[in-house]
Amino acid sequence: MFEFLARSLEASTIFTLAALGELVGQRSGILNVGVEGVMLFGATLGFIAAQVTGSFLIGFLVGILIGGLLGLLHGFFSITLGGDQVVSGMGIWIFGFGLTTYIGNPFTGPLGMGRIPKLWGVSPFFYLSIMLIVLTRFVLTRTSLGLKIRSVGENPAVAEVSGVNVTKIRYLCVTVSGMLMGFAGAVYSLDYNPVWNYNFLMGWGFIALALVFFSMWNPLILLGGSLLFGALWQLSLNPQLVLPGVLSRYVWRMAPFAITVVVLMLMSTRWFRRRWGAAKPEALARPYAKE
Amino acid sequence: MQKGLLAGIKHGEAALETRGITKRFPGVLANDRIDFEMKAGEIHAILGENGAGKTTLMNILFGLYQPDEGEIYIGGKPVKLRSPLDAIDLGIGMVHQNRKLVSAHTVLENIILGHPNAGRILNLRRTAKEIEELCARYGFKLDLNAKVWQLSEGEKQVVEILKALYRGAKILILDEPTSALAPPETKKLLASIQAMARDDLAIVPFITHKLPVVLAISNRVTVLRGGRVTARLETAHATEKGLAKEMVGREVIFKIERAQVTRGKPILQVENLSALGNKGFLALKGVSFSVHEGEILGIAGVSGNGQYELAEVLAGLRKAAGGRVLLDENDITHAGSLARWRHGMGYVPSERVDVGSIGDFSLVENVTMNFYFDERYTRRGFIDYRNLGKLTEELIAEYNVAAPGPDTPACSLSGGNLQKIILARVLSRKPRLLIANLPTQGLDVGATEFVRNKLMAAKKAGAGILLISEDLDEILALSDRIAPIYEGEFMGLLAAEQTPRERVGAMMAGVRPEEPKP
Ligand SMILES: Nc1ncnc2c1ncn2[C@@H]1O[C@H](COP(=O)(O)OP(=O)(O)OP(=O)(O)O)[C@@H](O)[C@H]1O
Ligand SMILES: [Mg+2]
Repeated sequence: MFEFLARSLEASTIFTLAALGELVGQRSGILNVGVEGVMLFGATLGFIAAQVTGSFLIGFLVGILIGGLLGLLHGFFSITLGGDQVVSGMGIWIFGFGLTTYIGNPFTGPLGMGRIPKLWGVSPFFYLSIMLIVLTRFVLTRTSLGLKIRSVGENPAVAEVSGVNVTKIRYLCVTVSGMLMGFAGAVYSLDYNPVWNYNFLMGWGFIALALVFFSMWNPLILLGGSLLFGALWQLSLNPQLVLPGVLSRYVWRMAPFAITVVVLMLMSTRWFRRRWGAAKPEALARPYAKE
Repeated sequence: MQKGLLAGIKHGEAALETRGITKRFPGVLANDRIDFEMKAGEIHAILGENGAGKTTLMNILFGLYQPDEGEIYIGGKPVKLRSPLDAIDLGIGMVHQNRKLVSAHTVLENIILGHPNAGRILNLRRTAKEIEELCARYGFKLDLNAKVWQLSEGEKQVVEILKALYRGAKILILDEPTSALAPPETKKLLASIQAMARDDLAIVPFITHKLPVVLAISNRVTVLRGGRVTARLETAHATEKGLAKEMVGREVIFKIERAQVTRGKPILQVENLSALGNKGFLALKGVSFSVHEGEILGIAGVSGNGQYELAEVLAGLRKAAGGRVLLDENDITHAGSLARWRHGMGYVPSERVDVGSIGDFSLVENVTMNFYFDERYTRRGFIDYRNLGKLTEELIAEYNVAAPGPDTPACSLSGGNLQKIILARVLSRKPRLLIANLPTQGLDVGATEFVRNKLMAAKKAGAGILLISEDLDEILALSDRIAPIYEGEFMGLLAAEQTPRERVGAMMAGVRPEEPKP
């Protein structure tokens, strides 16, 4: 049972990191539906770099770096060119899926580097993810930078006349956002499940994306959501641990996706929008052009 | 950029000066060699009809547009304003015609957004105290922790003023400061403006109509027409008639001939109608009335008292929460908008940019939106753009819309001219019932006179008109009957001719009459 709990916390860590990245970007008004693609890149390149150099540190740094670069790319397309953010995000996913499958294929198999030591029985990244949540919340609600980020996501024109550099803030957020997603990918492939094989991520990125909507753009609710989804995910891998004999693992594996669908349906009801509608960044996915 | 050019400025010293400011847009000379000067402690009104170039000049002074020619001097020194940030640093603050606030944020957050001294970590308590001192000094009352979307128009304006003052503005530019305010709010604002002028701030209100406001508060007036300065004078020497003439270039008759029409049978009957507002609360709480042929029923009220919801329900854009609406004795409570238009209803929405027009569409296409269902302008299901183009040209000429042509995109029109197009297209359809929500908002004196005469003519031709307005003068001048609305209820239904102005004003503020009259 403890094993199950520890593993769910580790699974939730990956959701937390990736979704936090998406949340930071969305609060500044940039939607990146290509979370999965960025994670795939971070995971695959991080995995290869670690295996080649024999250093975990380099593996993580490469994962973060490639995430940041992809964030910048998404930023260039959606901020500088003012293109459609969904198209750009989908592009990143398709591109990521294809290219990482090609690059990663020769490295199929376990990492073979031993495991990263646990802290009180759980991966240290879990504690790091909690700290990042607290930090993000602090930055967003208590600092000048956070106010600028929120304003840019709500109403870029107003932010601009108040003397905020919208382009700069959005680039900053979308880059940090990519770095967190890339990091999440690297944590998956170097710590949580250090084996590379075809389509190893199986939609984690998409769940992270859904989690952001689920969280009403609030980092604390986001944390709650990823803990729940982490547990569900873990349950789907070995349900016999907790509920022996109840339903097949394939039904359990569906659970996070099914819940996501239900949550999204709930969120699109009139009642929900009336009550909580204000939480969504007003300018989300809308390009901003200076007059 | 040199900061603090205005730091130690004293009463009567030159604060801002422009020389030969010129700005061209494709096909329009919006500002033509404008010389303008103002001193600390002075309230200097800029007057001009729609499209005269007021907003353009202000955008130049605030660094949003770059002038094609001309110089700007601040505190006697030439400056270049590349962005609003430059202007703010130099001590220029601006309150925009279309509010520039983040509606999901609190008042306090809006005020400190982008403030250089906000600190990395926000010290909200200290800031709040400083802002409360400003409020006390100038007589503003405001809950700093309220979200902006909860505020009235007047309160939002106060937030913008506070934001500019907190940034250390010495020159305050106000675009149409009173056009969206109710009489009591206007009065309070004017008092605050005078208090600020006593503190040696230079204040520049831009005004298209409401000339009495200009006369009441300003020290000097500059009048623009067609992008050029046509008059500069001391307010002491100005009269309402004289100013109107300078603005429009002809005499303006403020009094409207009230057409005496025998009122016909009822067209619109409303029974106990209620509706929810955007926040989910009951905004309209059971009103009953009828509008007859050849009659103007005026709904007088401060915005946010349910009249907006009433207009939307009548136009079929909002669901009724209860009650019935009859058009020519047919129940249309649940009918769609198109069915209503086909039945001869016309609608002038209060939001000319968001609901009344599509900015990227040309004027012809915007006119088409009121005609695509009209057999006269369609042929076998195809829209007859040739005829609509002709119609649009006629409307532009008749309503004197300042636009290069029918193919101009709607977003490049000035506020008032856009309003004229919206009115022109619906009136040219000769509706039998017109729902007009704030029909003259943002129009200059000349255009206001013109539109009011048009409404009167429509009434003479037998149309029934529901006129919703915050402008008591407009209601009194046009209506046959008046219904003051307060918190979603009618305070009464009065015959316009025997009702004194004060009584309607009091009822708009929620005072119920002693003996209700039919
Ligand atoms: N961005 C723009 N592109 C093209 N033309 C413009 C633009 N902004 C303004 N104009 C034109 O410049 C002229 C002056 O417009 P401006 O908005 O300054 O008028 P205004 O005096 O503020 O009028 P109003 O009282 O109607 O607000 C108008 O003819 C308008 O159509
Ligand atoms: Mg204007």
